[in-house]
Amino acid sequence: MTARTVLRNEWRLLMADRPLRIALGLFALLLVYALANGVVWTRFQERTVEAAQAGNVEREQALAQELADIEAGAEPASRFSDPRLPNVMGGARGRHTAVLTPGPLTALTVGQSDLLPYYYDVNIYTNESSFQQNGEVESPLNLMVGRFDLAFVVIYPLPLLVLALSFNVLSEEREQGTLALTLSQPVSARGVVAAKLAFRALLAVGMVLAVSLVGLLVTGGFGAPGRILLWCAAVVAYALFWFVLAAWVNSLRRSSAWNATVLVGAWLVLVVVLPAGINIAAGLLHPLPSRVQMITAQREASNEAVNRRSELLARYLEDHPEMAEGVVADEPGLGALAWAATDAVNRRLEEVTAEHDASRAEQIALVRRYRFLSPALMAQGVLLDAAGTGDARFAGFQSQVRAFAERWRDFFVPAIVAGEQMDASVLPSVPQFNLAEEASGEVTRRAAVPLAVLGGLLLLVGAGAGVGLGRVRGAS
Amino acid sequence: MIRHSIRHIIRKEFSDVLRDGRFRWCSVLVGALLLVSLGHGWVQAREAQREHAAAQATARDHWESQGEKNPHSAAHYGIYAFKPRLALSFVDEGVDPYTGTSVWLEAHRQNDFLLRPAQDATSAQRIGALTAAQVLQHLVPLLIILLTFGALAGERERGTLRQLLSTGVGRRDLALGKALGIAGALALLLVPAAAVGAAALVVGSPGPAASPVARAAVLAVVYLVYFAAFLALSLAVSAWARSTRTVLVILLGVWVVNGLVAPRVAVDLSKWMHPTPSALEFARTVEREMASGTEDIPRPDNDALTEDLLTEYGVERVEDLPINQSGVLLQASEEFGDRIFDRNYGALWDTFERQGAVHELVAVAAPLLAVRALSMGLAGTDVEQHRHFASAAETYRRDLMRRMNGDLTENSRSGDFSYQAGAELWESTPPLRYDAPTLGWVLGNRILSLVVLGGWLAGTILIAAARVRRAEVT
Repeated sequence: MTARTVLRNEWRLLMADRPLRIALGLFALLLVYALANGVVWTRFQERTVEAAQAGNVEREQALAQELADIEAGAEPASRFSDPRLPNVMGGARGRHTAVLTPGPLTALTVGQSDLLPYYYDVNIYTNESSFQQNGEVESPLNLMVGRFDLAFVVIYPLPLLVLALSFNVLSEEREQGTLALTLSQPVSARGVVAAKLAFRALLAVGMVLAVSLVGLLVTGGFGAPGRILLWCAAVVAYALFWFVLAAWVNSLRRSSAWNATVLVGAWLVLVVVLPAGINIAAGLLHPLPSRVQMITAQREASNEAVNRRSELLARYLEDHPEMAEGVVADEPGLGALAWAATDAVNRRLEEVTAEHDASRAEQIALVRRYRFLSPALMAQGVLLDAAGTGDARFAGFQSQVRAFAERWRDFFVPAIVAGEQMDASVLPSVPQFNLAEEASGEVTRRAAVPLAVLGGLLLLVGAGAGVGLGRVRGAS
Repeated sequence: MIRHSIRHIIRKEFSDVLRDGRFRWCSVLVGALLLVSLGHGWVQAREAQREHAAAQATARDHWESQGEKNPHSAAHYGIYAFKPRLALSFVDEGVDPYTGTSVWLEAHRQNDFLLRPAQDATSAQRIGALTAAQVLQHLVPLLIILLTFGALAGERERGTLRQLLSTGVGRRDLALGKALGIAGALALLLVPAAAVGAAALVVGSPGPAASPVARAAVLAVVYLVYFAAFLALSLAVSAWARSTRTVLVILLGVWVVNGLVAPRVAVDLSKWMHPTPSALEFARTVEREMASGTEDIPRPDNDALTEDLLTEYGVERVEDLPINQSGVLLQASEEFGDRIFDRNYGALWDTFERQGAVHELVAVAAPLLAVRALSMGLAGTDVEQHRHFASAAETYRRDLMRRMNGDLTENSRSGDFSYQAGAELWESTPPLRYDAPTLGWVLGNRILSLVVLGGWLAGTILIAAARVRRAEVT
């Protein structure tokens, strides 16, 4: 009896088993539904991104138009929104929306993209508090529950399908009395179980990967092969982990009912209980510094700054001697005074944020270390990261926007401090935000350790199963 | 009066459960998780409430000590409001991590609540948050399934069912006795947890709430009804299906649909039935309407308002008015803005509430959704109660602006930009006080869930009774 015969028989048996057929059909339905959901969400984000970019163009055109009118002798529409003023052209009126385009695999993993902001309006007043904003409009209830995307199907229901397909892969043969017959052929228990599981894995993983590829065809295409490979690797490794776990439990030679109970228990512990326990531990050991205290600090900084504006200006000019030109120290312009205060508040906010970020990083490091206890957490991390909807891509975007805001300030602030006006000639050189996508090597580097651990776990449990199955004799 | 035979069955079932190592371990695990999550929730809620109260006091302090300035500058300076954590939020944090915790109340605009704790957490925390409510909603039903699936099907498989019935025990009594025996075993787990929760509430209530004890009592009843429905359902399947394996597969399927699939399907359904605008669209609509008004909410006509003032005071020129015209115009613009905000934010929150109703309707297929809605409501952490606080904060903002504009109008003259008010005015504005909604208000919002949950209990008991009556012996 060759592996091919086993495979052919398995296919016939599987198709004859009505409950299993139904389970497979339902799973396929879940996959398609999850993908449709992800595609709808990706389209929604793409439309928003387009609208935001169109807004940038519109604002620039409006500025150019009014500047041309003024040049031709017209009066500005309002004294407060005169586009020649650098704090208007670089302020709310001329703001630039910096946009994070949806991650290349968003259709497969909504991830954090419904929670975290994917665009920021940047102007000269952008500071750390500007990053404290809500993302997309979404009911808090819907955010709490989370989306039905492919990553969800992979993390939660996929292992259950795997277990349903394989919890009795060997025990059933023994209970039906066919094991002795099978093993009387020139084939080992190890070989039989491996062939059976390989067939089932091909079926389950094949379905997930096929639907994923359809999703990619419908949305982004294959522009990010590195990320796609990581996604597939995570799906395969995670699914195989559950298959070898089932093989190992089968190798213990207990009843099918016992296998089912233990495997469902393992699912519960590894997928539900452990992640929760890790988070509770992290929350207790490294409580996040609260943002609430940041508001108070921010408030105090701005109170102080307003009261000490002249003093702050002197210090600001000391720090930025290149700007001192054109400012008469004895009677500085209002713009210069106001900017000195703004700048002081920004500095203080940066300090407060830096402290906050440091403690936050500590907690995240802890969570990242303990995620190795749960295959579900490892897989989820890689799936999100590969899709570009994990925490890393959003954090990278935020730091790029930070740098962009700096460039924006450097462009407008000298004119504000000097009390100068601007004209249409500067418009083409106003900074534009261009997203620099992370090199796929970076993503791979982050995913390498969890994937390796998952792979190691797979080999370990697989070896255990192999040894156990080696002891199975037909006569036993 | 419980008949003698039932007492025997209850006692036997009870000791069976306690003797079975697997169930003992499962119960210990669930019990430990329940206690840990209760304790963790309590520590966290207390800490958050302490911090919010302190921040609120500091905010008031900032307001009072802002020094001499024009009332309109003070209005721009504004004040921050921090959402209090209600007493029972340690049992169920609900949507709290996904709503902001604080809002800036300033002149001219209604701001969003900012600082969502979930934004600071990692994606791992999003799938692995565990509160006492989640243990009760997800894990206890699983435990019930594990305790019950063999109750009748197992006896049948072993052939002991025929034996039992031949002793003259009625089928109904047998099923009832088994149910009560299992309930007794569960009580060993739930009663101490409830006691710990109640003690935490009494010893150190994390925060304020209207009638926390009544809320806690109703919460306990809601969970008991949920567990009873699960127990009845499990018994019904155990009486109906041929083998324990089938019973287990069906019940686990129910559990997966109830806890994993249905909640997320409800999200999509609610979004599809009641779509929300994108954040960008929403912000643009508000910006546009604020700039140029709408058909039914026109921008205030400053010239007409000035004319009215001149007529009212019988003077010719603005300079001769005994009041400051700016205060009146500012207040008019404030009230115009209020109507625009009410329209847009009102519509948005109405949509969120309609989406919530879709979740409650899906509860017809998955009781978890009804229990979750009731649990969050009673804990004070649902969308409606967030909106309740948000409205209270907004009402406070509007009152504050009215006071500032009123002072400007009364105590200065038009064109006088040098007028400054002082601590007396700041201190004369009352601090923000918030009264959490009553139990009646909360339950009034959740009538749909109450009905659906009641329906689940009645339905599962009826089905169980019918299935037990017709249960086959072999």
